[in-house]
Amino acid sequence: MKIAQTLFRGGLVAYTSLFFAFIYIPLVVIAVYSFNSNPVNMMTWTGFTTEWYAQVLGFKTTVSENALYIESTGQLLQAVWNSLIIATSTTLIATVFGTAIAIGLYRFDFLGQRFYRVIMFMPMLMPDIVLGIALLIFFVNSGIHLGLTTIIIGQCTFLISYVFIVVSARLAGMDRTLENASADLGADEWTTFRRVVLPQLLPGIVGGALLAFIISMDDLVITYFIAGVDVTTLPMFIFAMLRRGIKPEINAIAVMMLTFSFVVASLGLYLRSRQK
Amino acid sequence: MSIAIRRRVQLAVLLGPVSLFLAVFFLGPLAIMMVTSFLAPGLYGGVEWTFYPHNFGRILGFADPMFEDFDPVYIAIFLRSVKIAALTVLAALIVCYPAAFCIARLSERWKNFCLFLITLPFFTSLIVRLFVWVLILRQTGLVNEMLLSTGMIARPLDLIYTDGAIILGMVYVFIPFMFMPVYASVEKLDWTLVRASLDLGAGPIRTFWRIILPLTAPGIVGGAIIVFIPALGNFVVPAILGGAKVMMLGNLIEQQFLAARNWPFGSALAMMVMSVMLVLLLVYVFASSRRGADAALNR
Repeated sequence: MKIAQTLFRGGLVAYTSLFFAFIYIPLVVIAVYSFNSNPVNMMTWTGFTTEWYAQVLGFKTTVSENALYIESTGQLLQAVWNSLIIATSTTLIATVFGTAIAIGLYRFDFLGQRFYRVIMFMPMLMPDIVLGIALLIFFVNSGIHLGLTTIIIGQCTFLISYVFIVVSARLAGMDRTLENASADLGADEWTTFRRVVLPQLLPGIVGGALLAFIISMDDLVITYFIAGVDVTTLPMFIFAMLRRGIKPEINAIAVMMLTFSFVVASLGLYLRSRQK
Repeated sequence: MSIAIRRRVQLAVLLGPVSLFLAVFFLGPLAIMMVTSFLAPGLYGGVEWTFYPHNFGRILGFADPMFEDFDPVYIAIFLRSVKIAALTVLAALIVCYPAAFCIARLSERWKNFCLFLITLPFFTSLIVRLFVWVLILRQTGLVNEMLLSTGMIARPLDLIYTDGAIILGMVYVFIPFMFMPVYASVEKLDWTLVRASLDLGAGPIRTFWRIILPLTAPGIVGGAIIVFIPALGNFVVPAILGGAKVMMLGNLIEQQFLAARNWPFGSALAMMVMSVMLVLLLVYVFASSRRGADAALNR
C-alpha cells in the first residue's frame, strides 16, 4: 500500500512536470531557433546569428533579399503603432466605463440589477467571431467608415466587461466600515469617495486597465473583421505573414513579443501578489 | 435636493453613458445580425430586405430556392466543429486534471509560483503561441527533423493541417481556461471525505468515481463550458494549424463574410454558434443554482 502510494505520488509529480514542459518547451524552442542562421529550413541549426533581429529592427544586414518578406520595417512599425494607439484609447475608455458600472452595481440597489450583472458577462463570453461579424454588419449598415474608430469602439464592447469583473472583485473585498467611519467623522460623500474609496479601489482599476491593454494588443478576430482595408494591427500583421508563408524574421518578431508580454505580465502579477 | 433624488442622479451618471454605449454597440449589432440572418442574400453581395428563412434550412441541409438541392455539407461542418471542440475539452481536461491535484498539495509558495506559470502564457500573444506549433509540426518542423535525423522515419509525417493539430493548438491556448476552474474545485476538495471512503473499505478507483469526481464536478463542468464556447466558433486555430483542408464553423463564417459575401447565411451560422453558447450557459446557471439550493437544504 505504502509503495503504491509513493509510486502514485511520483507519477503525479512526473505528470505535472510534463504539463509544464508542454507549456514552456515550445516557447523555449522558438526562442533558441530565432538565432538560427539557416534562412530556408528554420529548424535545422546551421549557426548562430542575430541578423533576423537586426533585419526586423531595420538595421543593415547581409541577409539576401529572397529570404525576407517585409519590404520595410515601416510596415511593421506602423502595425505596432496602430496597435498602441488602439490599446491606449480602448484602455482609457474601457477603464472609465467598466469602473463606473462596477461602482454603480455595487453601491446602488435598483430594479433589474441582477439582469444588468448577467448582461455584463455576455460580451466576454460571446464567441469573438460572433461579435466580430455583428459589429461588421452594424458598422457597414450605419455607414461608419471602417478604421481605427470602429476598432476602438468594437474592442471597448468586450473590454468593459473585463475591467468590470476585475474592479467588482476588488469592491467585493473592500472594507465598508472605513467608509462609514469617514462619513461619521464628517466627510461628505465626494470626499469619502475620493479619499477613502478610490485609494482602496486603485489596485483593482490598475489591474483591470492592464488586462484591458494586454487583451486589446492581442485581439485578432474582432479587429480582423472591423479593421477595414487601411488599418493593420500587430496581430493582423503576423496573421497575414503566417498565411503567406513562414520566414525567419517572424521568429524574431515572435520572440520580441513574447519577451515584452512576459515582462509586463510578470511585473503586473508581482505587484498584485505584493499587495495581498 | 433630497437624498433619494441625489442617489438617482448619481446612478444615472454612473450607468447612463455606459448603458447607452453597450446598448448601441453591443446589443444593437447582435440585433442587426439576428435580423440579417432572416434576410435574403443579394445576388452580388449585400442583402435584400425580404423575409427569407432558408438560411437556417440551408445549414441543416434542406434545399434552398437560390442555391442548391439537399446538401448536408454545412451540417457536416457543424457536427465536425462540435466534435473537434468536444475533443479539445476532453484533451484539455486530461492535461489539466492530474496536474491540478499535484499543485493543490504543494506549499503555499510553490502553489502561487505554479499558478503564475500557468497564467503567464495567457498574457502573451495568442498568434505567437500558435505560430510556435507551426514551427514544431510542419513538414520541415522540429518533430519531423528530429525523427528524420534519428532515422526513425523515412519521409516527413503529416502532422500539421490535421484535426489533431487543431485540437493540440486549441488545448495549448486554452489550458488556463480549463486549469483555473478545475483547480479551484480540486483545492476546495475535502480530503477527510476521501480518507473516510478509503477507511470504510472502498478501493481507490471506487473512491475516485464516487467521491473525488462528483466533488470536483463543478470545476470540470465550468472549465468544459469556457473551453467549449471559444473552441466551437474558433477560426484562428484552424486557419493557422488546419490549413485549407480542415474547415470549421469559424472558417465557414469568415468565408461567408469576406469571400462569398453571403452575409445572411454567415449571420445564420453565427446565430447557431451563439445559441449553442446561450444554451450551455443556461444549463450551467440552472445546474449551479440548483446545487446552491441543495447545499442550502443540506445545511
